Amino acid sequence: MEKDGLGLEITELRLGLPGTEKMMKKRGFTEMIMTSSGSNSDQCESGVVSSGGDVGKVSESPVAKSQVVGWPPVCSYRRKNSCKEVSTTKVGLGYVKVSMDGVPYLRKMDLGSSQGYDDLAFALDKLFGFHGIGVAFKDGDNCEYVTIYEDKDGDWMLAGDVPWGMFIESCKRLRIMKRSDATGFGLQPRGVDE
Amino acid sequence: MNYFPDEVIEHIFDFISSHKDRNSISLVSKSWHKIERCSRKRVFIGNCYAINPERLIERFPSLRSLTLKGKPHFADFNLVPHEWGGFVHPWIVALAKARVGLQELRLKRMVVSDESLELLSRSFASFKSLVLVSCEGFTTDGLASVAANCRHLRELDLQENEIEDHRGQWLNCFPESSTALTSLNFSCLKGETNLAALERLVARSPNLESLKVNRAVPLDALTRLMSCAPQLVDLGVGSYENEPDQESFMKLMAAIKKCTELRSLSGFSEVAPLCLSAFYPICQNLTSLNLSYAAEIQGNHLIRFIQFCKRLQRLWILDSIGDKGLEVGASTCKELQELRVFPSDLHDEEDNDTAVTEIGLVAISAGCPKLHSILYFCKQMTNAALITVAKNCPNFIRFRLCILEPNKPDHTTSQSLDEGFGAIVQACKGLRRLSVSGLLTDKVFLYIGMYAEQLEMLSIAFAGDTDKGMLYVLNGCKKMRKLEIRDSPFGNAALLADVDKYRTMRSLWMSSCEVTLGGCKRLARNAPWLNVEIINENENNDLMERNEEDEREKVDRLYLYRTVVGARKDAPPCVTIL
Repeated sequence: MEKDGLGLEITELRLGLPGTEKMMKKRGFTEMIMTSSGSNSDQCESGVVSSGGDVGKVSESPVAKSQVVGWPPVCSYRRKNSCKEVSTTKVGLGYVKVSMDGVPYLRKMDLGSSQGYDDLAFALDKLFGFHGIGVAFKDGDNCEYVTIYEDKDGDWMLAGDVPWGMFIESCKRLRIMKRSDATGFGLQPRGVDE
Repeated sequence: MNYFPDEVIEHIFDFISSHKDRNSISLVSKSWHKIERCSRKRVFIGNCYAINPERLIERFPSLRSLTLKGKPHFADFNLVPHEWGGFVHPWIVALAKARVGLQELRLKRMVVSDESLELLSRSFASFKSLVLVSCEGFTTDGLASVAANCRHLRELDLQENEIEDHRGQWLNCFPESSTALTSLNFSCLKGETNLAALERLVARSPNLESLKVNRAVPLDALTRLMSCAPQLVDLGVGSYENEPDQESFMKLMAAIKKCTELRSLSGFSEVAPLCLSAFYPICQNLTSLNLSYAAEIQGNHLIRFIQFCKRLQRLWILDSIGDKGLEVGASTCKELQELRVFPSDLHDEEDNDTAVTEIGLVAISAGCPKLHSILYFCKQMTNAALITVAKNCPNFIRFRLCILEPNKPDHTTSQSLDEGFGAIVQACKGLRRLSVSGLLTDKVFLYIGMYAEQLEMLSIAFAGDTDKGMLYVLNGCKKMRKLEIRDSPFGNAALLADVDKYRTMRSLWMSSCEVTLGGCKRLARNAPWLNVEIINENENNDLMERNEEDEREKVDRLYLYRTVVGARKDAPPCVTIL
């Protein structure tokens, strides 16, 4: 799978806010977020339906809130043990929440009913009613969206990297976000040393 | 008093237990210093790297109880690398070697190994109490050593630790002769427990007052446990997502009714509403309630429960209770002293209408005159609300407000929240701990520096405009001990303005601010009695070898603290001590 086009930025682990660079002058938080998610002009080859009126919502701080490491300041023990999600003992089986940027309501889907990433791609497309999410798995560079998932440890990972079996065992929730917002996101790089 | 024999003075000192007071006594004269240090039983060390175990033992040979804290507070939010430090092992080794008669060990944010626990269990014959909070690095094997070897163990309290659960038989390791337990808390263990061993242990511990089980203890087991321990004062229950059948429910309720001494309830990582209602009979006795892990339970069930809790002093709850629920709390819980409202939806993906706002905060402040500690996560706030809260509750000691969206202004006026927080610090003359959030300029720090005379701990995130903000705080807050700042535009000018200020503080944390490597180096040169740690998780860590140009490079994370024992030797590669 061609990964070069993804750019190392997506996988780079950073503590800074999205869009932060070294030696940068101070900018307001919202200013940073608006800049990094401002351009939504990339269109996926397969003709993704633009989010239209929801785009404005996407570039507001709520998107960035969960991107910042250690924010909100809830201790990691509490995060792991009380999130309103599928509990750790049920990880991988049953329903996981799926969110998509620009779409106001969460969906739930049964990971267990998919046989592999292709199946999952199809199911996601069906869930949100348009074609193009799944393309990210096969041909990540060209798609406007990336699909990421939160694993057992609370880390956000790029979907499609690990074997399917490992994926469904550790996936707690899915999120489909715009590629432009994923830059600088605290995604865990593959093979990082603990 | 100089004409009294030492034994009399020592006897008088016995009545003085506060650490601060005893520290003051030791400064009066050489003879008082000696008497105090030789008779001192309890020592509190807020930063394990400020001193070393050898010097501790030398000064306090009669040590019986030691409290140690390791990682800085922001480690709770994943801002400190795992391998940063805070190892308890060298302390246990030194205490064992010196044959200190240790009876009690309390650790917070430290790295504990099975080897440490094993050594602990074998080295101190009178060991009675082990309390571990937010620690990591050990497994249930370590717990097995403690259970097996500490023959006089009274208290084993494990709070929010990361423990590798080997699903072994650690509970079996308590010998049959062990009957002295007063407190057992293993709520943070994730695996199955040997229920039979647990029940036998509880049955033979008549002095057991506090029992907190983990999520793997099912309802029928809980019922049996409560039945054989009706003397319990503090109970932490497991996870009960399924509605119990009629018979189980009746048995549970009967067991609960017998626990007339029960004052504190916690656990409930998942709880079906019917299960919760089984506890109604004892609600009126409760002084402490922690339902903050019950993520799936809806607000109306929480409200129904709270309505019965007229004597509540401490309440930890999720924001799913809503403003309406807090209004109910305000009219019911007139004895309330401490409130913590945690966010139920950390990713804020859902349009959450039931979360709490400034309305709930104002209601609680109006209804609960004894309120002195609050931790409040909410999605919006106004200056008017904070000003009202300040008027209603001038007795706050701890005030921590976290508006979930960074930099969010007053949602009715779009202004900063400087005035609101200003009102809080001005009214609450006894305020010792403060966390601020929302849109804040340098002005809020001017207020804090001017009015917060008793402030000891301040947490700042995404706030301020210039170095002046931090300077107002450093210059104004004479009692400041711990200052932690993230993502705020404070730089070298503020950091270096008054180096001696850090002699009076325990520590300073600054991450994603404007301080540079050059500034930190200059600080380290001017203050050799400080450890100035730069934490940098990138590959290339040789900060000292970089050329002059890089002095202007911003420091990702800075943690500095006063110490009498110089740079620590156990720092990992990602930490550079200047």
